Amino acid sequence: MTEFAGKTILVTGSTRGIGAAAARLFLERGGSVILHGRRQADVDAAVARLSTTYSGRVRGLSADLSDRTACRALAASIETLDVLVNCGGIFHEAAIAETSPTLWDETVAVNLTAPWVLAQSLLPKLRASRGAIVNVASDAALLGYAGCVAYCASKGALVGLTRALATELTPDVRVLCVCPGPTETDMMRASISVAPDRDKARQQWASYTLLNRVASPVEIGEAILLAASPRASYLTGSLIMADGGATAGKRV
Amino acid sequence: MAEVTFDYGGRVALVTGAGRGLGFATAKTLHQAGATVAVNDRTAESCQAVIARLGGGPRLIAAPADLATTDGPVQAVAQATANGRLDFLINNAAVNVERPIAATDDAHWDQHLSVILRASFLTVQAALPFLRSSRGCIVNIASELGLHAIANNVAYVSAKHGLIAMTKAMAIELAPSGIRANAICPGTMDTELMQECARDSGDPESYYAAFNRYHPIGRLATPDEVAAFVLCLLSPAAAYMTGAAVAIDGGSTAGRL
Repeated sequence: MTEFAGKTILVTGSTRGIGAAAARLFLERGGSVILHGRRQADVDAAVARLSTTYSGRVRGLSADLSDRTACRALAASIETLDVLVNCGGIFHEAAIAETSPTLWDETVAVNLTAPWVLAQSLLPKLRASRGAIVNVASDAALLGYAGCVAYCASKGALVGLTRALATELTPDVRVLCVCPGPTETDMMRASISVAPDRDKARQQWASYTLLNRVASPVEIGEAILLAASPRASYLTGSLIMADGGATAGKRV
Repeated sequence: MAEVTFDYGGRVALVTGAGRGLGFATAKTLHQAGATVAVNDRTAESCQAVIARLGGGPRLIAAPADLATTDGPVQAVAQATANGRLDFLINNAAVNVERPIAATDDAHWDQHLSVILRASFLTVQAALPFLRSSRGCIVNIASELGLHAIANNVAYVSAKHGLIAMTKAMAIELAPSGIRANAICPGTMDTELMQECARDSGDPESYYAAFNRYHPIGRLATPDEVAAFVLCLLSPAAAYMTGAAVAIDGGSTAGRL
């Protein structure tokens, strides 16, 4: 498949997890991908892994998404862009009483402000290519979960950002939001690893979905590719709920 | 407006951003219903002005604080709970300055996210021990722009969407403690701010006409009728409601006229 041939796609948070799966799919389908991660060593390793198969179409940039200046520098180093995938995100469990201002600020900075700053900075390039922005939020944007208030708020705001950008940038740039449900990533594994009963924690994540299982990163990657694809030319401002039905109904 | 009466005698409420608009109307309506009301605004003078407008007396507490700071919410709650009690927290304080994407600078973005979202979180956090004791109730004043978007308001739309998601997360986490958290999503209200904007536009009549057309009901909301609904949410009539984001927008988010 060569659906993304000639297209350049920036995927933030793509050294692992959903971002890595999406980046690989874009490459499989002909795209040129700019990988991104916080640490240069992780980026270099990810680029090396993919370059053997997709030589000449992979490069990487590192930036700390909690740092706006770094986000702007990242954007400035990109010449042309067709698709921005805001996939980098952080998740820390903390009850309302235990959520420090620092944790709140870091969560909002990475999950909301970085997508905003990247979108704003890359806008001229995305307008020129009549491109697309895909924000990766979460089912937690629409469903409240206990013990992660900052995460839920930041992802809900990312849905708002998606709609505001879509409203203002139409028809030049399509803006979409993919909302993954529980997905088998390092982020989830980290959460499960600190649970008192790991099997129970894993089953609880699965039980939030109608499909009664967690997603593989590739399944979410496919939804991201659909959003970015010209096949989705009439989709803008939408939420694509890649959540195994979590927001559609409740298993009892 | 139909008369709705509630009795909140003995209850203590904190209303943020109570200097004018919906915040003032909510403070006024709660005070009329018998509650002790802590009035938050940025300055002591502004809080005292509200208290004077409401006739003064022991059931009005000044709780001045700049909620955009990290300490502000703690200070507001400390003043409101001087008597050791808090039943109702109404997170109303907000800013709303329209800007196109290109003109939205860091200061603008941060101000909207701080006042609307971060301050609401920190105020709930500070109030939590008191709300646990009273099995109290939180109402976050979101906006119809927490449910859908308009152009040239990206920071506000993002923050208000976040406020609704935050409300749901709080409702779930606090339900076992008997604390309810809901959001309301007002459409355009005929506030002092609105009247100023209309005047500044140079053509107040068409300014208003455009907003009237935007809302299928054909008029703006009055702050008093929205405040009356906030009182409903605080009342036993809403005892089974938590985590809701209720549109009170003249049909604006329901469809297209």
